[in-house]
This record gives sequence, structure tokens and C-alpha cells, in this order.
Amino acid sequence: MSLHGGFHFTHIQAFLFFAAVISVAFGFLGRRQPKDRIKYILWSFCLFLIVGVGIGWLMYPFSH
Amino acid sequence: MDINRANEQADEQLAAAVREQSAIADKIVPPETKAWGVALAGWLVPGLGHALQKMWGRAVVVFLTVGLFVFAGASMRGNLFTVQGSDAFDALGYLADLGTGSFYLLARTLERNGADVSRAGGDYGTRFLATAGVLNLLAALHAYEAARGRKA
Repeated sequence: MSLHGGFHFTHIQAFLFFAAVISVAFGFLGRRQPKDRIKYILWSFCLFLIVGVGIGWLMYPFSH
Repeated sequence: MDINRANEQADEQLAAAVREQSAIADKIVPPETKAWGVALAGWLVPGLGHALQKMWGRAVVVFLTVGLFVFAGASMRGNLFTVQGSDAFDALGYLADLGTGSFYLLARTLERNGADVSRAGGDYGTRFLATAGVLNLLAALHAYEAARGRKA
């Protein structure tokens, strides 16, 4: 990632960026208490990673 | 003892006055109208719907997350759809991008060289811009529900 002239993400960086930002937004919109928010953010982020990597592996056979 | 009783009476009088004032305010601007105003403000400026209800944390997070997605999407030269779309997907993309409200114009300003979806980065940028719009619409809906007094 480089901030010179904007964002330049690799695939995995874009994926992590998306998961992190969306998880924080969902955590703040969906929960009121700070402790609940943190748990929700971490849980959501982990699910994004698991589902994203899972879908990637499911698509792998079709790329060959 | 008398002081405590006097304090309690003063609190009750104050609460009654606040209730009365709130009822008068509701007559001037009905809660439903106010809720629509909050939703509109939240759509136009991400986070403003929550800020108007003094939900500062949520307001800041909505502003920053939507802003970050718009900035990232535009600087990665994602496709910012216009009204002159040729098919249904372009129209849906335009609706999603419009969800960012005033940030749509900001994205147009940032994207001086136009879109470039020939690279993966540009394609990711397109998704980031659409996500920003849908996220902002979700936040505006959340602010609307909160203004109507629903648990949010």
C-alpha cells in the first residue's frame, strides 16, 4: 500500500482493508456497549477472512 | 429531609416541563417528519444523521468509513457510474454510488483521470465506491430508525 498518489493495494491488502473497515462500521452501528462492539468487530472480521479465503479455495479448481 | 423533598419536587417539575416542551416541539415538527429529515441529512453528509441525534461515536465512524472507501475507490480509479448507463448493472451501480450523497461529487473531483478497470486495482475501486454508497444508505436507515425511537 502506498499513500503517494492514492491507494495501491495488492489483492490480499484490498481484502483485509475491506473486511476491517466494514467490520468497524457494522460494530458501531449494530452494538452500543464498547465491549460488545469490540467482540462484534473481531468476530465479523474473522468471519470475513474465513468466508473470503473459503470462497477463494472453492474457486481454485476453476482457475486451471 | 425537607431539602431532599424540595429537590425531588423540583426534579418532578423540571421533568414535567421537559415533557410539555417536548410535546409542543412534536406538534410543531412531527416525529415522522423529523425522522425523514434526519435520514436525508444522513444520506447527504455521511454521519450527519447520527450527529443530529448526538450519537457522536457512530457519526464519526460512519463519516470516516464511508469517506475512506470513497477516497480509496476514487484513488484506485474505480468506475464511478453516471446516469448515462447502458444497462441494468450500470443503473444499479449508479444507484449504489449515489448512496454516498455529497461524497459522490467528491469522488468525481478526486477521479480526475477517469476510471481504469483494466487493472485489478480499478475493479476493486469500483467495489469500494459501491460499498461506500450502500454502507451510507444503511447508516441513514439506522439514523432514521433511531429518530423514530426504535431501538438502535
